[in-house]
Amino acid sequence: MIHFFIFLPVLASLLIFLVPVRWREEFAGAAAGLTLAGGLWSWSVGGLSYFSIPWISALGVTYSVQMDGVSLLLGLVTAFMSLIAVIYAGKRVPKPGTMLSLILMMETGLLGIFAARDLVLFYVFFEDALIPALLMLAIYGKSQRMPALVKFAAYTLLGSLFMLISIIGLKFYGGSPTFALADLQAHPVTGPVQTWLFLGFLAAMAVKLPLFPLHAWLPDFHAQNHDSGVADVMGTLYKVGAYGLFRFALVLFPDAMLELRPILMALAAFTALYAAWIAFSQTDWKRLLAYAGLSHMGLVGLGIFSLNETAMIGALFLLAFQNVYTGALFLATGMLQERVGSLSTRVGGLMTQAGALSGLTMTLWFASIAVPGMAGFIGEFSILLGAYQVSPWLAFFAGLSTIAAAAYALSAYQTTYWQMRPAGAVIAHDLRNLDWLVLGAPIAVALFFGIYSGPALNLVQPVVRAVMSGLGSGS
Amino acid sequence: MNPALVFPDVSLAPMLPILICLLGAIAATLLGFYVPRRTVTLVSLVALILSGASMVTLWDQGLSAFAGSLQADNVALAIGLVILLGSVMTLLVSLGSASRARLAFPEFDAMLMYAVTGTLLIAFSGDLITMLIGLEVMSLSGYVIVTLQDSRRAEEAGMKYFLLGAVGSATLIYGIALIYGATGTFNDLAIREATAGLAVQNVGLLVVGSLLALCGFGFKVALAPFHQWTPDVYGGAPTSVSLFLSTVVKVAAFAGMLRVFGGALQNVPAWAGVMQVLVIATLLIGNFAALFQTNFKRLLAYSAVAHTGFLALTLVANPVNGGPALVYYLLVYTLMTAGALAVVSALQRDESGFSIEDMRGLFYRHPGYAVALAVCLGSLAGLPPFAGFMGKFLAFKAAFEAGYVGMTIFAVIGSVAALVYYLRPAMLMFMPDRTPAREFSGERAPTTLAVAMAVVGVTVLGILPNLAYGWVANPAIWTVLAGR
Repeated sequence: MIHFFIFLPVLASLLIFLVPVRWREEFAGAAAGLTLAGGLWSWSVGGLSYFSIPWISALGVTYSVQMDGVSLLLGLVTAFMSLIAVIYAGKRVPKPGTMLSLILMMETGLLGIFAARDLVLFYVFFEDALIPALLMLAIYGKSQRMPALVKFAAYTLLGSLFMLISIIGLKFYGGSPTFALADLQAHPVTGPVQTWLFLGFLAAMAVKLPLFPLHAWLPDFHAQNHDSGVADVMGTLYKVGAYGLFRFALVLFPDAMLELRPILMALAAFTALYAAWIAFSQTDWKRLLAYAGLSHMGLVGLGIFSLNETAMIGALFLLAFQNVYTGALFLATGMLQERVGSLSTRVGGLMTQAGALSGLTMTLWFASIAVPGMAGFIGEFSILLGAYQVSPWLAFFAGLSTIAAAAYALSAYQTTYWQMRPAGAVIAHDLRNLDWLVLGAPIAVALFFGIYSGPALNLVQPVVRAVMSGLGSGS
Repeated sequence: MNPALVFPDVSLAPMLPILICLLGAIAATLLGFYVPRRTVTLVSLVALILSGASMVTLWDQGLSAFAGSLQADNVALAIGLVILLGSVMTLLVSLGSASRARLAFPEFDAMLMYAVTGTLLIAFSGDLITMLIGLEVMSLSGYVIVTLQDSRRAEEAGMKYFLLGAVGSATLIYGIALIYGATGTFNDLAIREATAGLAVQNVGLLVVGSLLALCGFGFKVALAPFHQWTPDVYGGAPTSVSLFLSTVVKVAAFAGMLRVFGGALQNVPAWAGVMQVLVIATLLIGNFAALFQTNFKRLLAYSAVAHTGFLALTLVANPVNGGPALVYYLLVYTLMTAGALAVVSALQRDESGFSIEDMRGLFYRHPGYAVALAVCLGSLAGLPPFAGFMGKFLAFKAAFEAGYVGMTIFAVIGSVAALVYYLRPAMLMFMPDRTPAREFSGERAPTTLAVAMAVVGVTVLGILPNLAYGWVANPAIWTVLAGR
């Protein structure tokens, strides 16, 4: 079942080229829906248990996967947002076959990242997701995509190759028989070597968190991607740095993380505030969203690096649900562009013609700026609460970013959706058919888990507790 | 008191793969007078496949001939199979493109088969003289193949190749002479035993000899700073010949290095340190020079230099770790390089390849070839799930576990540069383009078969590396090489 869940999308992404062109949207939708159904089913049975067989026995590389707790929550969000992306891509992108195939291919990479319990397997899935992301940008990107592509790929690969070396070193110095997480955990590396190996691992995760100063690829990546925002949804899901740090770094490099905690927390808090500051002066919705996402990821990083239980639960919760509403906001931006042909934040007056679109977009922004009652609030509040216990000042500075979020989001919102529609501008039509589903479903999810967060917290809490108790004198 | 007449240790079985190839070469030489070139090529292909089949039957038997001068151990057989794979792909590509490249005459096949015989001899060599003979047979045939095309470019490339190759050979021979002077033997195992504990009379002679041998091999495998000829020769030779040089010839040269440095000279000091410097230089020069290329074929030539650096990472490691990594990487390298050059050979307008800018939109004109080329480039860049990643992983792992951490970090930096220069052409192919096509639409069945072999091989070996790695991972194979 777990293999079905992970590999169904990639299978569909290959088979889609055998399907007649007119049925491709339906086929991709069915595959993504089936994957989500598989995820929901595994949630109902309490997760998918550990499965491990040797992959390259001579090297100690195993195929070890598990889908429960945090992995399951992130996997579910991935499956859900992929389905939304497939629906919108089928409607918006002309001749969408290739795009749908790439979305599904990337979905498998992401699900694999969350399921992997072997470091080499994790690396393989981590890089697998890169290829469709690059192809989406290459095929559907805008005129300046080549520099964006090169930047994105070079940052990712530089980080992940250092991670690869640190994976090799982890097994070599620890003397573990395999690369499986459980074995590596039983053969820990200690002392200064651990710190060096952690820095290698951190390089990859900081690029994908992203953490200042390794974030430079992000704005260009989003700004150059297709106007529809579909690729951006997948790119948002691909920000798995915080998950990698939680799942692997925390158990493999606990001493190093504790040692570097002040620096890392400061970097994360700075990322949150700095990105919010830059977001304020953006005039392109996609760049603004990129920096808004970066600001949120700074908060997520703060929660992870604080090594505090409350903050970590909040960080993983926020990581999961910001994927939902940031992704949906990218799609809302795509709808805006579809109607007015521009991504500028100075369009003006859309509310008068497309009331529903404007209203749903505003609701999503409320989720994003952590209005209570939406899922973002629970995450951000827990992070700040937990981080405050570790470092009050850093928590305070990072907390400023939530205020800044309201400022940059609402001022850009105002100049786009309120104010006057320029004379002679095209009439912007309102939401139609599937558009309602594309924006409505994420809002429903953000609202539901904002009010009744129990089911999602039940997935996160036990895992975080188990990891933290394994650390002993962790915090 | 007359000693009994000692017959030389001649046994045919371990020589069989080489003899079949030699027979194929002779057949190609003679048949050329009577039948068309296409038939000659098919006969050569059959000879290569028969040779491969004989290697499979020799697996795990550990035979040798001429008192150990010729070793048909598993190392030789594994590398021999990689060589044959590269040769088969070369012949397939030449079937599709030889007439356009003005190479469609039987002498091409004959020289190619002689070269393959030489490369196999290197892989099977148990002493330095056998290795040297193989190397010379290979090199001399190689010089001829490069110049066979009647064009100034090919002649210039051949001249460069010959002059620098001759320097390399001379250096190597001098090194071998000094090693013989220090140890009194040509045999790999005997050298190894003689140098154990450095109990030889003249260590200086031995060290100088091994360093000269390293320089000689440096020319052959294109280690910086001995790589200068590579871009010009690979770029100037007809593409099917570049394919042969950058795969088969390089594999054979690495087989020679493995025999000499991983086996015979394992106990000798100093060369490992020098090789480390050369490898780092190769990784940096090869990868960063490739960043500035505008011609795709020349880019692949620099990529061949860069991959020499990655391959050589395995040579400094203990053969038990490095050997299987080297063989796996060589196999993957052969597949992906041959696949990429096969596509170039099919789509180029003339033998100078095409410029990277011209690849824009290739996906919309030749979707099959474009996807195949993208797979090969992704694999060359070391992206999973393609096999190039596993090759790099093994090479990094071997070097890291041998304690060369700094070198692996240089390899990482080189890899990032590599990703950038592979990514540009790979992504350009997928960008929509409205200008008319600038490439020849030369999709031919044999070339397509070679490309398909590469894509399937690279993908399957990436997802299930054990299919190949499992065969060579057994440490017992490599302790024989190391003589322990």
